Amino acid sequence: MNRIFLRILLAGLIAAGALLAATTAAAADIQVGASVALSGKYSRTGQEQLNGYALWVDEVNARHGLLGRPVRLVHYDDESKPDTGAKLYEKLITNDQVDLLLGPYSSGVALAASTTAERHSFPMVAPGAASSDIWERGYKNVFGLYTPAEVYMDPILELAKAKGLSRVALIYADTAFPRSVAKGVKDKVAALGMSLVFEEDYGKASTDFAAMIVKLKARAPQVLIGGSYLPDSTAFVRQAKEYRLNPEIMAFAVGPGLPDFGTNLGADAEGVMGNTQWEPTLKLPGAREFATRYAQRFGHAPGYHAAGGYGAGQVLEAAVIKAGSLDKDALRQALAGLDITTIFGRYRVDATGLQVGKPGYAIQWIGGERHIVLPEENASHALVYPFRPWQDR
Amino acid sequence: MDLLQPGVLFQLAVGGLLAGALYALLACGLNLVFGVMRVINLAHAELMMIGAFIAWLAWRYAGLHPLLALPLAMLLLYGLGLVLQRLLIERIVEREELTSLLVTYGLSIILVNLGLLVFSADFRAVPTLQGAFYLEGLDLVISKPRAVAGAVSVVLTLAVYAFLRYSRTGKAIRGVSEHPEVAMICGIDVARIRGITFGLAAAMAGAAGVMLSTIYSFSPDTGADFILKCFAVMIIGGMGNFLGALLGGLLLGLAEALVGGVLSTQWAEAVAYLLLVLIVRPTGLLGQADAL
Repeated sequence: MNRIFLRILLAGLIAAGALLAATTAAAADIQVGASVALSGKYSRTGQEQLNGYALWVDEVNARHGLLGRPVRLVHYDDESKPDTGAKLYEKLITNDQVDLLLGPYSSGVALAASTTAERHSFPMVAPGAASSDIWERGYKNVFGLYTPAEVYMDPILELAKAKGLSRVALIYADTAFPRSVAKGVKDKVAALGMSLVFEEDYGKASTDFAAMIVKLKARAPQVLIGGSYLPDSTAFVRQAKEYRLNPEIMAFAVGPGLPDFGTNLGADAEGVMGNTQWEPTLKLPGAREFATRYAQRFGHAPGYHAAGGYGAGQVLEAAVIKAGSLDKDALRQALAGLDITTIFGRYRVDATGLQVGKPGYAIQWIGGERHIVLPEENASHALVYPFRPWQDR
Repeated sequence: MDLLQPGVLFQLAVGGLLAGALYALLACGLNLVFGVMRVINLAHAELMMIGAFIAWLAWRYAGLHPLLALPLAMLLLYGLGLVLQRLLIERIVEREELTSLLVTYGLSIILVNLGLLVFSADFRAVPTLQGAFYLEGLDLVISKPRAVAGAVSVVLTLAVYAFLRYSRTGKAIRGVSEHPEVAMICGIDVARIRGITFGLAAAMAGAAGVMLSTIYSFSPDTGADFILKCFAVMIIGGMGNFLGALLGGLLLGLAEALVGGVLSTQWAEAVAYLLLVLIVRPTGLLGQADAL
């Protein structure tokens, strides 16, 4: 008697457990998978991108989730290594069976990881990558957010054209990203009918530009464009001052976008132009508020990597709402046709998934601070033109 | 050719010689250590970076001008050199050269990574000596930090040379360099002399670092670019030859500037190397074919 009662109790318990499991499955979280560098050379920037993802997930959940279901972030550390990144996306798709994918950090890792996503026909929203060779392979599942390197300098060259300048000098470091910037500059210079009066690349370690500047001066360029990182652009500006190289516009791809450019150059940074993917001062809906919330949560001001992460979340959210489901084909179509403005800027891609809606934002050092000066509708300060000659400073 | 005007070449040559003086200051210390101990110190450029960071710290937190930080950095590095010699280098002096490469390469890795931990990989600069001297009559521009660095480098290098040549300790150093056993028999404390030598070399590297901080943006990784130049200078000037390193440094700077100016900066080092070493003097300027 007693034994039978126990059996019934046990059967009841098992049934209740199964029922419980079934109901949990029905209201299960939507899993968003990502692998971002948390160690290795991209750990700092990778962490910021992940913070951006995490903040977006929290805020989506505060807004009752996606399609009425809560969102959960599943993430791994790819150690800044492309092959590890590719393996981890394989794991996310086949093992964890996540519902949505966000991209890794850096062009190199994205290049490898996107191959995995493509093989599984799994759409992936990929911030943290600006190298356009990711989108030159005919893939259908990789959707970019960053302004591609090739169009970084377009607003600055258009400005030069509008000011009636024609003599452009181009210098660039001999690595992948500056080469892409340089390629874009050459195409744009030709398209605008300007003339390239000087072109030279240099080894990345090279920080001695004296010889190059002596040559440059002989060609009297009106516009100087550098495909340069921080140490080379600061070294160049210091030596340009010494040799009084005075173009009307002086612009570098990466260096001037960083605070250290101003710290290291002091007053000599004045008037130098550069690029940025994003600044909290950009006139974009929600950008400033995002920066405030981010700073409250993580205790430091967000860089553009963080904003890119959050913006990627917004793009994914908009695509899921547009598709009305988590179906891969519907999502892919939604992402391909979407045209929205996130806190990171406009999102609109071409048929290959390459970002074409987001313009290159030009910054300029004015009064010891970085300001967005181009395009004008996003500007936080009026452009200072022309570059003040060194001897008059 | 607009680039081959005498004025442009003169400008390139002056800039090159000034850069070369700094290479010389750095490479002379390396060569001195090699000459006396037959130890190739792969961490030499890291000692230079310590000097650069001392200059940066002194400027950033005490407002000290790099020229005032110079004696401080040299003194600190002399002390560090003595300690390193006592703890590490003295143990490997008599061993084969591969041992010294391994030990000093390890030291270099430790120093670079300590630097990255303490200072991060951000680039620093000490923007004090700014601008340039303009010699209007000659149509010549001389960068102030480079002029000062060049002058300091030449003065220090010649001072060390004079010390080696005329002082009693200097003579002992040369004695140990030429024949350690005979020097020991003559009553020279060889270990002490080696300590002084390594300290002196470290102090010269530190001085080069202080001067470098006024010219370039630098991070703990920057040393790697310079150690390669140092080896080029050593080979150009002759292994173990102090004056050879001075000449080699100046020549490397000059060749880099001229090749960079006339051809391309990408070619500068390769051409300088090929031209000077392999074609003109395979044994180095002041080296001998049978010296090693």
